[in-house]
Amino acid sequence: MATPSNEWVNLNAPQKLDPFKGVKKLPLEEYFTSGHRTCQGCESALVMKMMVKAAGPRTIVLGSTGCMYVANTTYYSTSWVVPWMHTQLGSSGSAGLGAAAGLKALMRKGKLKQEPINVIAFCGDGGGADMGLSAISATLTHPDYNVLILMYDNESYANTDIQLSGSTPYGAHTTFSPPGKARRIMHRRWKKNMAAMLAAGHPTCRYVGTVCMSYSVQAMNSVRKALSIGGPTFIHSLDPCPKGWDYDPIQSHELGELAVLTGIWPLYEVEEGVLKLLGKTRDIAEGRTKRRPVRDFLLRQGRFAHFADEDLEYFQAKVDEMWERWLVPGVIPFRKELEEHAS
Amino acid sequence: MAQTVASTEATQQPPREETALITGSEAIAVACKLADVDVITAYPIRPYDTVMQYVAKLVANGELDCEYIVAESEHSQFEIVKHASAVGARVFCGSSGVGWMYAFEALTVTPALRIPMVAMVGNRALDDPGAFGVEHNDALAVRDLGWQLVWVDSAQEALDTALIAYRVAEDRRVFLPCAISCDGAFLTHSQALVRIPSAEKVKAFLPPYRRGDLLLHPDNPITVAPQVNEDWLMEIRRQTGAAMERAPGVIREAYADFERIFGRRYGNPFFEEYETDDAEVVLVGMGTLSNPVRVAIRQLRAEGRKVGFVRMRWFRPFAAEELARSLSRFAAVGVIDRDFSWGSPYMGGVLATEVRTALYPAARRPAVIGFIAGLGGREVTVPDVRRMSDVVQQAAEGKPQPATQWIGLRE
Amino acid sequence: MGRLYAVEIVYRGIFQKTLAKNLSRTIVLAAHREGKPGISFGRYGDSPERNGIPAKNFAIVATDDLTLEEGMAQYEPKQVDVTIAVDDTLCKGVESWAWYGLQPINRLLKPGGTLIVTSHEEPSALVEMMHRKEHPYRLAIVKATPSFSGLWVYKDDHTDVRILGALAKLMPELFSLIALQEVIAAEWKDQLKATSALRAYERINTVDVQPTQGNPEKPYQFEFAKWHEMREGLAIPSIPRGEAVTDARSGQTGGYRPARNPTFKKFTTRTMRPVVDFDKCIKCTLCWLQCPDSCFDVMPDGMYDANMEACCGCGVCEAVCPEANCITMVNETEFRDNASQWELWRADKEGYARWVSDKIAARPERSHGFRFRGQYEQQVPGELAGARDA
Repeated sequence: MATPSNEWVNLNAPQKLDPFKGVKKLPLEEYFTSGHRTCQGCESALVMKMMVKAAGPRTIVLGSTGCMYVANTTYYSTSWVVPWMHTQLGSSGSAGLGAAAGLKALMRKGKLKQEPINVIAFCGDGGGADMGLSAISATLTHPDYNVLILMYDNESYANTDIQLSGSTPYGAHTTFSPPGKARRIMHRRWKKNMAAMLAAGHPTCRYVGTVCMSYSVQAMNSVRKALSIGGPTFIHSLDPCPKGWDYDPIQSHELGELAVLTGIWPLYEVEEGVLKLLGKTRDIAEGRTKRRPVRDFLLRQGRFAHFADEDLEYFQAKVDEMWERWLVPGVIPFRKELEEHAS
Repeated sequence: MAQTVASTEATQQPPREETALITGSEAIAVACKLADVDVITAYPIRPYDTVMQYVAKLVANGELDCEYIVAESEHSQFEIVKHASAVGARVFCGSSGVGWMYAFEALTVTPALRIPMVAMVGNRALDDPGAFGVEHNDALAVRDLGWQLVWVDSAQEALDTALIAYRVAEDRRVFLPCAISCDGAFLTHSQALVRIPSAEKVKAFLPPYRRGDLLLHPDNPITVAPQVNEDWLMEIRRQTGAAMERAPGVIREAYADFERIFGRRYGNPFFEEYETDDAEVVLVGMGTLSNPVRVAIRQLRAEGRKVGFVRMRWFRPFAAEELARSLSRFAAVGVIDRDFSWGSPYMGGVLATEVRTALYPAARRPAVIGFIAGLGGREVTVPDVRRMSDVVQQAAEGKPQPATQWIGLRE
Repeated sequence: MGRLYAVEIVYRGIFQKTLAKNLSRTIVLAAHREGKPGISFGRYGDSPERNGIPAKNFAIVATDDLTLEEGMAQYEPKQVDVTIAVDDTLCKGVESWAWYGLQPINRLLKPGGTLIVTSHEEPSALVEMMHRKEHPYRLAIVKATPSFSGLWVYKDDHTDVRILGALAKLMPELFSLIALQEVIAAEWKDQLKATSALRAYERINTVDVQPTQGNPEKPYQFEFAKWHEMREGLAIPSIPRGEAVTDARSGQTGGYRPARNPTFKKFTTRTMRPVVDFDKCIKCTLCWLQCPDSCFDVMPDGMYDANMEACCGCGVCEAVCPEANCITMVNETEFRDNASQWELWRADKEGYARWVSDKIAARPERSHGFRFRGQYEQQVPGELAGARDA
């Protein structure tokens, strides 16, 4: 692990969490257990399970408002084994920073026993990419605190019965973007490029990664790296959501795979500024796998059932652009020079 | 400098205390140092942020060992210290005006979570329009939510009250945050002579912060603030209410110990009485308007007029019974509000409305005249106070007066 | 003195949300046609709904406005004249959103009230699943596969109007068939739907259920603490850490069983449960790993046993299992308990193999939400034809 050379950066040693070497080597312990009121097939709940399985018992979790708050600690009960505390919708960045700073101060001043304690603050796409963006950004600039911010992205404000967020894909049906007689597409915005934006915008942040629990060993290893590299880190998980995306829950795992195989969701990590594409995404980028057409993914979901051919074509064109025209394919959308404006 | 505090006799022979010429803001920064605060968050807004500038110097010079974090908004500022407190750190924060309002969501949940944060509010008028002068609406906005609220009128009182605030807030019987209000400009930016207590005395007065079974730590696995429905929330609210009910007793204990250890006597913690023993009419107010009020009272008394002044310190918990007992003695009371409450009963300011409510069960109820004065930092002048005294005198003589009057307005 | 009527619709969250809304609203609109005011609402505490988790809608109708007030400003009526269960597996009882433990499906029914269930099962099978009630009630079955839609895409297979047609026959004082057909015409402008309602009206009949009939098990419930008994600071204890499992048969200890939330078990969310053929299992770990509900216990021999006290029936385990017919989702109506399959297998491997193949033969024929665009356009005509001939 590279350490910063500036003497004034004073980082506590984080936990040493080596990568898991395959499914058979995973620990059996669960730190997020059954009895949460999530939907059948909820991949966001799977994120919670994997996140703390990867982190281990010496962990404090701060959970901002959203499905993973309300559904997991419903009506004065809990599914958490590790200590867990609620925080506000836009506060994952600030809550994580506060817990990390508090622990650091207390340990340094001898008021608390020294030990590396994982601090993880999670947020949904609404709380993270929308409301809480400024707090996350600020936290990622702090070199002195060990804290992982994990954004579980089910592409809507799901807990309030599915409203669009800045992470909702183009055209998706939500209660704030219903297709109607006058307007078929109410949501004309393209999804924010959150992980890459944060990686590019915070040069001293040592780890940013994208994950999907359909590739769970990689995802858990991403969490372990983010917790052990030191300093503030960020992980963006894409989680298929049977309710908001509107599909039979049995398809949850497969839809996660399709998101990656269509190129819609690239898997990568930026570690100490070095970008590495991972798994199937790397296969796509290096030409070993052809991208599946986006319609294979979109038309399995009720939220796109109203799409006309032109909507599918537009979506495909934007994803093609990600891989064929972006400066860093799949990651950074800049061009080297202006092109003829494509529709 | 107004003498608001009585010194004890020299028989106690306290070690010589340092005296410094510092603002109210710096006095609170010094209190943070004496209290060995662990985490402090800063965000710039006038006029409170002078406290954070002083804190920065203390940290840079190694005089205060804390994590000092500049947040990117007030909302984050207060959220950061909330969670630092949850893991067991003693914390300090603060803001002014609309900055305090930007943090409002965080301010709302802090008492509900029983986080014993101490915050300084450099009272400042709320936007719009932008104005830096003192009004009390910012701090008052949280009055229903479980914050303890106290107003000080001198830099000395600011320092002393900050130490008392930590002692009271962090008492397990209370565990409610406390906001100390300091008038913008007059306290935040004016340097006065302040006695600095010794570290040993502070240690004797202020025990360490122990969160006990509420500590967020892997050795104490709890889930904090699970979501609830109508089956739970009344009981949870009742718990917060019970804590606030216990606060006055803890406050009294703290002030008694403060006097014993530091040798400075504040008397009744909840409000200070000036020249009330033989007064016929009395004015009530909070903060630094106490200065022109006391000057005016001395002038009036020299002219044979018997006027007194009650300065509220603790607005929450509000010592209603004690205040009613005190004010019942007078024929008329004038309440000076350096705040507004549009649409309230009789368009009265917040303090006037609360004083009327406190007096309602009393056997003898004086006339209560509400005055709106000093908004946006406009000086409350001695002539203003004389005019208010005249109005209250008229009311005492049975001549009806409008329930709420504006003083010092160009009209 | 007026009369207040209450109808509750117990349904699977999200999948049957539109169906339930259609039912409760149409009841009120039909009753209104005949001069009775009413209100329609979902149970507030069930919101936000989650896929599969039981939820309730209510239609409250009264003879007059004053009487209607008796049914207003409440989350849930204290008793109902009719309970409509739009999925037969709900008859096993439901855990509500709120912390009330396991609620029998017939909990709110008045003496002599009517329970309407959509099902292909025989009455005796349903009665076996339902908890005993202290007084008699009627059971009526609308012969249909429980209707599951998407959230945004409704599967209009006429289940809504068939239930309403049956209700008009079973409780004519609520609304008549004429009033119902008028509302159907106004809301849906679809003559076929009116005809489906009529057919259901003509065909529905009931059986009486006595207090001696049904599941004798006492459903679990909870008491609430007083305010001063609750820990301060909004804090509750976390779930304890799990433990290794001891196999009573061999004495071997190993594997892992997590501790689970004791106050919300989630097994009443199931309409299907996974049946595991342990002889085919290659211990790839994927079912255990990919289960969002951590419901697999790891047994000392390394097998993965889906704990039926925790499984909510999402089907992801079947989808990720690489071995054909190793994990198969089977109708929940085929089972009468939450017994451990691994224990059954260990006790008698040959018997278990037969049991598995019997169960697999009873695969669900219904869809469990949206699978692809155009799906309902394909399915519904066949289902309507089937309903006509049923």
